[in-house]
Amino acid sequence: MTAILEARHLAKQVSTSEGQLVILKDINLSIEPAETVAIVGASGSGKSTLLGLMAGLDTASSGDMLLDGDNLSAMNEDERAIIRGQSVGFVFQSFQLLPSLTALENVMLPIELKNDSDARGKAARLLQRVGLESRLHHYPNQLSGGEQQRVAIARAFASEARILFADEPTGNLDTATGAKVIDLLFSLNAEFSTTLVLVTHDDRLAARCKRVIRLVAGDITEDSRHE
Amino acid sequence: MSDQGSKSVNGAGLQRLTLIRIALRLLWRDWRGGELKLLLFAMIMAVTSVSGIALFTDRLERALLQESANMLAADRVLSGRTQPPREWLQEAESRGLQTAEFVAFASMVFSDQGNMLVSAKAVSDAYPLRGELQVADRPFGPPYVSDQGGPEPGEVWVESRILPALGAEVGDSIYLGDAEFVVSRVLVQEPDRQQGGMMENAGPRLLMHLEDVPATNIIQPGSRLTYRYLFAGDQAALETFADWLQSQPENGFRLSDVRDESQEVAEALGRAESFLMLGSLFAVLLAGIAIALTARRYSERHFDYAAILKTIGCTAGQISAIYFVILAALLVLAVVLGSVLGWLVHEAILMALASVIPIQLPEASFLPYTIGAATALICLFAFALPPLLALKHISPLRVLRKDLDDSHLSTRLPYALGLAGALVLILWYSQDLLISAILVAAVAGVAVTLGLLSLLLLRSGSAVGMRAGSASMLAMSAVRRRRRQSVLQVLVFSLTIMSLLTLALLRTDLIRDWQAQLPENTPNHFMMNITESQVDGMEAFLAQRDIATNAFYPMMTAGLVSVNGEPPRNPWDDDDDEGQQNLTERSGQLNEMSPQDGQSADAQSEGEEGERERVINRQVTYTDSLPPDNQIVAGEWWSGADIAGQVSVEDDYASRLGVSLGDELVFRVGEDEVTVTVTSMRSVRWDNMQPNFFFIFSPGTLDYLGATYLSTLLLEGEEKLQLNELLRQFPTIVVLEVDALIEQIQTIIAQVSSAIELIAVLVLLSGALVLLACVNATLDERFRENAILRTLGAGRRLILNALLLEFAFIGLLAGLIATIGAELSLYYLQTQVFGQDFRLHYWVWFAGPLAGTIIIAALGVNATRRVVNTSPLAVLRQLTV
Ligand SMILES: Nc1ncnc2c1ncn2[C@@H]1O[C@H](COP(=O)(O)OP(=O)(O)OP(=O)(O)O)[C@@H](O)[C@H]1O
Ligand SMILES: [Mg+2]
Repeated sequence: MTAILEARHLAKQVSTSEGQLVILKDINLSIEPAETVAIVGASGSGKSTLLGLMAGLDTASSGDMLLDGDNLSAMNEDERAIIRGQSVGFVFQSFQLLPSLTALENVMLPIELKNDSDARGKAARLLQRVGLESRLHHYPNQLSGGEQQRVAIARAFASEARILFADEPTGNLDTATGAKVIDLLFSLNAEFSTTLVLVTHDDRLAARCKRVIRLVAGDITEDSRHE
Repeated sequence: MSDQGSKSVNGAGLQRLTLIRIALRLLWRDWRGGELKLLLFAMIMAVTSVSGIALFTDRLERALLQESANMLAADRVLSGRTQPPREWLQEAESRGLQTAEFVAFASMVFSDQGNMLVSAKAVSDAYPLRGELQVADRPFGPPYVSDQGGPEPGEVWVESRILPALGAEVGDSIYLGDAEFVVSRVLVQEPDRQQGGMMENAGPRLLMHLEDVPATNIIQPGSRLTYRYLFAGDQAALETFADWLQSQPENGFRLSDVRDESQEVAEALGRAESFLMLGSLFAVLLAGIAIALTARRYSERHFDYAAILKTIGCTAGQISAIYFVILAALLVLAVVLGSVLGWLVHEAILMALASVIPIQLPEASFLPYTIGAATALICLFAFALPPLLALKHISPLRVLRKDLDDSHLSTRLPYALGLAGALVLILWYSQDLLISAILVAAVAGVAVTLGLLSLLLLRSGSAVGMRAGSASMLAMSAVRRRRRQSVLQVLVFSLTIMSLLTLALLRTDLIRDWQAQLPENTPNHFMMNITESQVDGMEAFLAQRDIATNAFYPMMTAGLVSVNGEPPRNPWDDDDDEGQQNLTERSGQLNEMSPQDGQSADAQSEGEEGERERVINRQVTYTDSLPPDNQIVAGEWWSGADIAGQVSVEDDYASRLGVSLGDELVFRVGEDEVTVTVTSMRSVRWDNMQPNFFFIFSPGTLDYLGATYLSTLLLEGEEKLQLNELLRQFPTIVVLEVDALIEQIQTIIAQVSSAIELIAVLVLLSGALVLLACVNATLDERFRENAILRTLGAGRRLILNALLLEFAFIGLLAGLIATIGAELSLYYLQTQVFGQDFRLHYWVWFAGPLAGTIIIAALGVNATRRVVNTSPLAVLRQLTV
């Protein structure tokens, strides 16, 4: 099978007032379709940065990042945006819903951007799937953290993305709620057979992924698969 | 991959609708957030104030022009001593202009019982083209508006006091020259009563039909007459006609409009126009600031939106499109609502002014709405578009790294654009480089002063009297922590307060000046041609009847022959202004029965220049006490004995002549030549309708040459009848009636004053909005900061006090800078634009900073009280979402 995500000698450094700061050095990895991958590591080890590069939210300082065969490093921001809209879904620690839109409208957005005429129906079905059918017209600040994250998950699947990125999706939730959200994420993932790449500090969450990549100071020190 | 790219390009057309839908939904949903409301409110305010002021100004200006056109009975008047070619009237008519004509002359009227010198005016059917004739059915009876033009042939209308002098009544016959006329009505007022030369106004008015003139046989070769052709019509036609007249070879005639005819009215109108324009400039400026502030805050609120939209696949172009649609929708909304509100505001102003502006206002043109819309558009492009378009540069990485600093996005370009936009607006509006320059300089001055002050104050170490943990320390550290924001806030507050102060002070000064110009009880009749032997008798006559009078000024014509041995310079060389047409000069011409009418004495001798040396003829006087409304600006007024041989010169005229203190001037008075030394310079109020002189001699210098005397009277209503008695006892004197003119000017001034008042209030409202927007602009950060402070254990009181102090300090600073800025701009505005004297407004130096402190502190604390009263948890939760 060909890899859906492939990093080749990926590196990221930024210049700060204290000089060059190397965040990622020479990352090489390849992720198969429908794989579930957890990126773990200490705080500041570069997890979010790597996720951002893989998802095309940022550009690498050197090296190539291939998403479904397209080289993100060679694209400009608009081209990456189009790729994101077509192939990528996101779930973030701080939910990142548009506060002025209702739950339904938040989920509709990516579908509408694809010019799908049935945005409303599809979004409503997805929200029903995540158990929020009674909260369609509520605004994010009227929802609990867990509910907001479920809306975010519905939105992530709304674009029929082939890859799902999640950065500490349970970071802002209590254990029980977090667990429910994770269940939902994995069951939807299985249902749509998407690729899932998530960053987490939560060992139990990492354990549910088939593959764990550990970062230490911008280096991959462990890449293990298990069944 | 490439097929994905092309697919999105093909989808672009389809997507446009989707984007518009998303944009409108965002706009609609955002309504719940305060930012959008404030932005829309600011834009509506901009359109409202600008279109409201423009509408009002537009209509008022036309009304005032119309009102003042009434003073001419026409829009343009052609006058001359001989009859202008009749083809000129036909030419004007062929250009779509209305025309009328009259001839005026002085003549005796007779009845069986008496006779009287009247100034007759024979008018054509169409007279008056502007304004109306007021008549009555009996002397001093209730006036009404004549439903026809002037009298029918064979009839005359006369002013009330003619009838008792002739022992006649309405319906009786009187004689003028060889013709007999029936007095059919009493003439109360004619619109152009005060226009023209003295010959037209030397006695009470008799109005007759132009056709009857030949029958009187009064007009003979050599008769002293004034011919006037009146024109009215639309501006463009009037102007092309004026150009055509210019091209005619024969040109002993003068075409004038009301501004040429009445300096006093022209000045009042000019100042009012400048003020209204300044008012709308400030309104635009303030609205621009409000839009900039609110748009910036709105866009900051949308940093996250842009980042999220990007992560789910929006391109930069699509994000721009979304926000462009939002702005366009806002613009449409603001223009529609603002225009309606602007119309309402101007109607409200008119209603409030109904008692002062009784005249029917002409309908406004469409231009004010265009101006309002264009202002919103320019403001939007200059102030709101840049920060919103900057959203497309937001990095999507923001969703992962909240700390990403995108503040750089909303700095330089928007400021530069905003500045350019403001400049364009100011210039476009005022079409006046001087006012624009003053305004821009004032703004720049405020910015520089602020820069210096903030360097001094904000950077200095902890101020005196601060304990750790005290409210003042918290406040100062807040000001310093947000230095950039604090400076911006002080800048906005100062500009706002400065605009308001400038306008308010200017308004007060203008109105005070006007009231001083023509106070209640301004004498409204000039008596001239009084001989020395009549003075005592007249004084007794007036005292007996309790009629207020002024000093009797001796008056004579003196010709300036040389200045320090050189011939005098032509004082009006550098402009085409023919010189001060004040009443004294005009009456002087009458006094000496000068054949030249309506032209200054200077012009007289210029005409003969070349053949003869230049002599500058002026009406002069001598007196030992400085006349009221005159002020010595250099040298000293004479006092004591042995003061002969001195002259005091009007300041501005002296500089035109190139005369300075200590110069030796030689005057020709009659056959004699007198040499005098300039010992003082005076400033004179030319617009006060009182005797004023360019040259005043010290007593003893000219006395032996003899003179006639000039004085003024105040006669109101039926008191005017006393004139008959006065003229009977002193038949040789000439009385010039300026009561109608003074009344007209007072009316115009009252209208203009109220207008100014209201504009000031309107601008005040925009100012309040800006202050509110500015306070709100920093609310988020305050919320967060204070929530943190409170979770750290700071008490509500402490935080509230700190907030109070912080705003008070910012307000104090802003008030101080605003006062400096206002005084500076007032100095230039008053001396350069409004032709006023500038005086420091001492009380403002206390009131300005004090008001700044109190208003900003009150506004600030009121707006941020929520900050303190919301639970810290709620704040922190809300802000992290
Ligand atoms: N644009 C940037 N400028 C400066 N430093 C950066 C930038 N981006 C990332 N860093 C730094 O790089 C390091 C890695 O950041 P990253 O966010 O990837 O860590 P992380 O592993 O996700 O940590 P955490 O578990 O705390 O989220 C951090 O020290 C961070 O401060
Ligand atoms: Mg991270």
